[in-house]
Amino acid sequence: MKKRYLPLAILATAALSLTACSSGATGGSGTDATGETLNVWIMQGTNTESDEFFERVGDEFTKETGAKLNVEMVQWADAHDRFVTAIAGGTTPDIAETGTTWTAEFAESGALAPLDDYVTEAGLDGKLVEGLVEAGTLDDTLYGMPWYAGVRSVIYRTDIFEAAGIAVPTTWAEFQAAIETLKTSNPDIIPFPVAGDAEQLTYPWVWGAGGEVATKKGDTWTSGLDSAKSQAGIKFYTDLALQHGSSTSGATTWKETDVLDNFAQGKVGMAVMGSWTPATILDKNPELEGKIGSFPIPGQTSGISPSMLGGSHLSMFESSKNKDLAWTFMSMMTTGDFATEWASQSGYFPGETTALDATVASADEITQAFATQMVDGGASLPVTPKFGAVQAKKTTNTMIQSILSGEKTVEQASADAAAEMTDILNKK
Amino acid sequence: MTTTIQSPAAVGTSGSPAAGGPGPRRRKAITIAAARPWLLLAPALIVLAVLLLWPLVRVLIFSFQDYGLREIVSGDTNFIGVDNYVAALTDPQLWSVVLPNTVLFAIAAVLCTVALGTLVAILMTNLSRFWRTVVGSAIMVAWAMPAVTGTYVWVWIFDADNGIVNQLLMGAGLMDEPFNWFTNRWTFYLIVLINVVHHGFPFVAITVMAGLLGVSKEMLEAAQMDGAGPIRRFFQITFPSLKQVFTVVIILSTIWDFKVFGQVYLMPGGSGTNRSVLNLGVWSYVESFGQNQYGFGSAIAVLLTLVLLVITIIYIRVLMKEDEL
Amino acid sequence: MSRNITPARVRRNVIVGALVTLLLVFTLFPAYWMISSAFDANAASGSTGLFPSELTLDNFIYVLNDGGFAVFLRNSLIVAVAVVVCSAVLSLLASVAVARFRFKFRTSMLLMILIVQMVPMEALVIPLFVQVRDLQLLNTLLGLIIVYITISLPFGIWMLRGFVAAVPVELEEAAFLDGASWWRMFRSVMLPLVMPGLVATSVFSFITAWNEFIFAMTMLGGASDKYTVAIGLKQFFGENSNDWGSVMAASTLITLPVMIFFIIVQGKLSSGLVAGAVKG
Repeated sequence: MKKRYLPLAILATAALSLTACSSGATGGSGTDATGETLNVWIMQGTNTESDEFFERVGDEFTKETGAKLNVEMVQWADAHDRFVTAIAGGTTPDIAETGTTWTAEFAESGALAPLDDYVTEAGLDGKLVEGLVEAGTLDDTLYGMPWYAGVRSVIYRTDIFEAAGIAVPTTWAEFQAAIETLKTSNPDIIPFPVAGDAEQLTYPWVWGAGGEVATKKGDTWTSGLDSAKSQAGIKFYTDLALQHGSSTSGATTWKETDVLDNFAQGKVGMAVMGSWTPATILDKNPELEGKIGSFPIPGQTSGISPSMLGGSHLSMFESSKNKDLAWTFMSMMTTGDFATEWASQSGYFPGETTALDATVASADEITQAFATQMVDGGASLPVTPKFGAVQAKKTTNTMIQSILSGEKTVEQASADAAAEMTDILNKK
Repeated sequence: MTTTIQSPAAVGTSGSPAAGGPGPRRRKAITIAAARPWLLLAPALIVLAVLLLWPLVRVLIFSFQDYGLREIVSGDTNFIGVDNYVAALTDPQLWSVVLPNTVLFAIAAVLCTVALGTLVAILMTNLSRFWRTVVGSAIMVAWAMPAVTGTYVWVWIFDADNGIVNQLLMGAGLMDEPFNWFTNRWTFYLIVLINVVHHGFPFVAITVMAGLLGVSKEMLEAAQMDGAGPIRRFFQITFPSLKQVFTVVIILSTIWDFKVFGQVYLMPGGSGTNRSVLNLGVWSYVESFGQNQYGFGSAIAVLLTLVLLVITIIYIRVLMKEDEL
Repeated sequence: MSRNITPARVRRNVIVGALVTLLLVFTLFPAYWMISSAFDANAASGSTGLFPSELTLDNFIYVLNDGGFAVFLRNSLIVAVAVVVCSAVLSLLASVAVARFRFKFRTSMLLMILIVQMVPMEALVIPLFVQVRDLQLLNTLLGLIIVYITISLPFGIWMLRGFVAAVPVELEEAAFLDGASWWRMFRSVMLPLVMPGLVATSVFSFITAWNEFIFAMTMLGGASDKYTVAIGLKQFFGENSNDWGSVMAASTLITLPVMIFFIIVQGKLSSGLVAGAVKG
């Protein structure tokens, strides 16, 4: 059985860091690929400075290999469909950033190239973040090269909290009390939106109450969304909106991006958001500079409610004609200076342990809370190619939305969702 | 009306091109004449065969397979008999949500589109030339708005947080809290209905209006002399002479409204999160593309095609005489 | 006489006027709201009234510069023109065949054309995708053009058939008697008479090419520089879902060409539609 918590023991490793040497040291450098072009898909919205970043990566890449780099930005919202059609149509790029929950699914279709030999050759065995390696592995073969990891915590408006005299909540009871205070002190803002189309904002409350999304026994998956503990968590979360007026009716159809947009517009008191969002918020609304802070999602009575250790892999497609060249790019992106820089620009944590240590050590105040969340409260979703299908079916989103819209009770909705999830996970 | 139009075609088809051929070598002229329709048809037929007929056959073939991403990539077959059909037809969601939504919506949309279109057409024939042009242009504007754009505009109009409808209702004191129009099955489809009717009635209005202008004035006047009121005149004279116009308009509207996809898919919650608003188009897309079950999606597509065929045949039987094809 | 009629006429005019006003509000409000939001500087944060509080062009500038809509518009224009021209030519030729000649399989051909029109687009996404892939045309505008021509053809043939049939055979025969060849007769006699029908079918193929969504999404998936306006707008909405000012500016940009096209063909369109429908 998979462990849900991923205590990043690796953080303790101070041992033999290969740092100093920059990208060139790893992989198949020296390959001359003049005249070739490497096509890469990168997800949009991770890094506000990505254009400039990839320009420099491209220059460096050309200098080293002679090949040209062609980066195409892909939106998260469309990405899954685009990958599927590209795989089906044989129009895949050489390398793509793949969300950690998708890598196994694409690997299963036979579209991805195994990476173990490259990793071993580069001496990276055991030096990649465990949770990301686990998510990128199918049948003991690594298909997703850990690139960066992120978690979600609570981002809040420090100015509003200060004015209202609210201390950072550390339990669910305090969290709810903070919402009640916000409601009276700032009636024109949304204290804490409960978004109905965002599964990742739901799981912390399930895990925080001691529930499970799904567990595997032998070969059979069972969804735990309808356990008493999970239901308690879901009930607490949705009751914030239904009983305590922390949200709006509009939020019933919000996605995570809507939460972000509304927070950036200054309409939200606090919200569960990713470690990568502060830069975007400030980019959209510079007036919030110095007015936002973060804290780990409080535990039910103590500790932290875990959020998904999410992030991205870089995956190499079987259709790539020059795999050594592709690996050169991969190692350039995932180790060394570019990896660290990408992490610090985007608010993510690098997927290679040494770079991760460096980032955590130099983290600013906001990032610190996310680092704590990642170390002590990072959880993983079921690692199976089928979980992508669960996400595509929006099982969890459906559950939350139907509760918020009053169509179903917590018990009904969670039972339906659990049945559907169990069914999909065990298909074939 | 139909007879006058049919007759030249009937005469023409019997062999006028051959007769028209002035060449002295008669035999050759006849062969060319026989080949000519096929020459004319060839380009269209080739395109239709390669990109419509063969894919249609393929849908049928896929529908009997467990056809996933792997099969598409490799081109292998994986037959499983009628499992996909069984799975589709025994899915409780199909009967409790998907079909009622699809059918009820199609009925409501066709009724509203045709009724509104006809009323507007009648209104337009009663207007002066100037106002007819004004209304005609306004209708064109509604028609010209692409479905994707139109959907976003309606979503924006009904947006829960900042939409104009909620703002106005709250401003007028009719509502205390902003209402989310997209979470309720009925209000969701009300918006879809407004959207679809808004985009669809211009076609009906303009077609019917042009048809109305062709209705014999003498007969209407004669009926009026006999004391028939406007409603009776409409159903006794106007409607029968526009029967064919209505047939075409109703068939096309039914087909279009049955297949509504984007107008639902692009609305908040419409792409699968809100299960109570799933319709056939979105359901089959989500089930086949999201789940990589292309065989299952193909089975649904085959079923939908059959349903539409049956509906069309019924319409034609009811509204058209057989020899009019 | 006029004394008796006046009150009735006034009442009638009031009713008609009210209906016209209602109709105009219903038809034009979405377009008005789209355009007004597009010019509204505060639409993003929720505009509060029926009129823009502060006019700006920023939304349009943003959409054209950062949204990539110049490229999307160009792509859609190429696709639309190609589809309109090709499907008009192909369906006209085919409709002449089915309307003017009686040959073996003519009825089955007509039935087939009627049937394929019933087929829902979703049904064809998967096999057409595979087909276009086999033709090596994924991620190209040409692939999409061919697909749209196919979609527009059955309707076009069905529609034009009626027009061709309505051209009096006497006219044709007169042309032949004057020594004209068949093709010359076709150009100088038939073509002008079926023009309204061609306009009507062109409108439909134009709408298809401009609005279509699923095929564009699946077949151009990997190449955003080939996106048409419909999926370009969807992508843009995904990135800027709460920036309603920009979304509406983008919507305005892609709606205007269609409106212009419609207004140009308006006169011909209505006669074309009814003739097609009546004779269909």
